[in-house]
Amino acid sequence: MSLRDQVAIVGIGCTEFSKDSGVSTLTLAARAILAAVEDAGVQASELDGIATFRVGDSVPPAILAQSLGIRDLRYFVDQFGGGSVSHSIVGQAALAIHAGIAETVVCYRALNARSEFRMGGTGRPPVDAIETQYQAPFGYFTPPQQFAMAARAHMERYGTSAEQLGAVAVQQRANASLNERAMMRKPISLDDYLASRWIVEPFRLLDCCLETDGAVALLLTSAERARDLRQDPILISGVTWGSGQTLYSNQQPDSTRTSAADMAPRLFEMAGVGPHDIDVAELYDCFSYSVLVQLEDYGFCKKGEGGAFVESGATALGGSLPVNTHGGFLSEGYVHGLNHVYEAVSQLRGDAGERQVENAQVALSAAQPGYVSGNTSALVLRRDS
Amino acid sequence: MSDAIPKPLPHPDRDSEPYWKALSQGRFQLQRCGSCNALRWPPRALCNRCVGFEFEWVDVATTGRIVSWTRTHQVFAPAYRGEVPYTTVAVALDAQEDISMIGGWSTDRDPRAGETVRIRLVDAPEGFKLPCWEPA
Ligand SMILES: [Zn+2]
Repeated sequence: MSLRDQVAIVGIGCTEFSKDSGVSTLTLAARAILAAVEDAGVQASELDGIATFRVGDSVPPAILAQSLGIRDLRYFVDQFGGGSVSHSIVGQAALAIHAGIAETVVCYRALNARSEFRMGGTGRPPVDAIETQYQAPFGYFTPPQQFAMAARAHMERYGTSAEQLGAVAVQQRANASLNERAMMRKPISLDDYLASRWIVEPFRLLDCCLETDGAVALLLTSAERARDLRQDPILISGVTWGSGQTLYSNQQPDSTRTSAADMAPRLFEMAGVGPHDIDVAELYDCFSYSVLVQLEDYGFCKKGEGGAFVESGATALGGSLPVNTHGGFLSEGYVHGLNHVYEAVSQLRGDAGERQVENAQVALSAAQPGYVSGNTSALVLRRDS
Repeated sequence: MSDAIPKPLPHPDRDSEPYWKALSQGRFQLQRCGSCNALRWPPRALCNRCVGFEFEWVDVATTGRIVSWTRTHQVFAPAYRGEVPYTTVAVALDAQEDISMIGGWSTDRDPRAGETVRIRLVDAPEGFKLPCWEPA
């Protein structure tokens, strides 16, 4: 039997998002998990599975199991990786529940990504990767550099403009102004964007995600059991993860296309929907450009037209496809992909307050689309009807 | 201060050691597959077109085409404090255009997408030579 609509997200929790949490990643994870448990109306002792991903920067599942009083953890996922694998842990949890290995699984990501372990690698050697040796000696070892290289190629090939990148930042800040969880809520203009300082050309400061301390947790159980719990179940209609080509694979020299383009048809087929059925999309926005390329690679617009699509207002609240309604990593905070799932669930429940997308029934939440590692992952979620 | 932490050097692995060694001797060599004749890079034990393990190291054309470029303003590591802003390029090789590599650029003007460039080997500590690029 297909996994479609068999497992539901029944609880969501998060901590405050800040520049300095002042606490350990264990504390952050526990707070978010207990909030998700409370949201679902279950007991922490009922958890029998825990899933996370990390890059050596966070507390592992076993320590949480001990801390939460779980005596017999039946299932765990301790996935190595960054944002590209963020949605895959939700898929792995769903598989375990569907297979009867575990019944109540919590997925979390907890990080002190500003106060302790910055993703850009400032102050520590580059992460261990086979391909680092071909980049680091040129002073090129951080995500903003890698994404800026791809963004420039897109600008050269398709005429994507600074103003179009800026439109992503401006729209998302407007959304964040309606989100009490967001770290940056003061609206910005395109002029503010253009005046912000260079980080790595063609990226300015306002093209780049916030570095954030915080945690998000998502509680999953079977759709059948979900119908007896406190919240409206949000069903996992489709989930997929995979790996495509990287800059270094000799087969995909075109950095204007991502692994998401290979994966999207599988994802939509599993969910039984197409891009036109998506009411709201939360797209991994480590940088403004990654939103544009995902709009293209998930089929919301033609290749090369992501910039024009955003500039048209289609992706703003009230547009045909509101994107990153929480403000995204650019303005809400950077919890490595799981805060996108949290927002998608809020929207489908109808709990998103002033930024609620009217009658949101189906959502796409997507991970980093596959630069650097080639990996990506994504979810299609829908209201139980 | 800025010299306290040195700039990263290549850290050759068992597949890439001959590549870096050839560069240090002033030669730009890639692996040519013994089964399907395709070039491959980065250095790997097997060909991702035909999964053949046979190969030989061959001298290849030292020219290519600019695919993209960036200019780094942010100091991401202390060793680069005196270097910013600096330019980095992505180059598709003439030898086989589906191979692209990242490299340094020290010419005074900006690179232009599509322009033809050639390798300039730049000396680095410990005998390494880094493949950087300049207008051809
Ligand atoms: Zn071959």
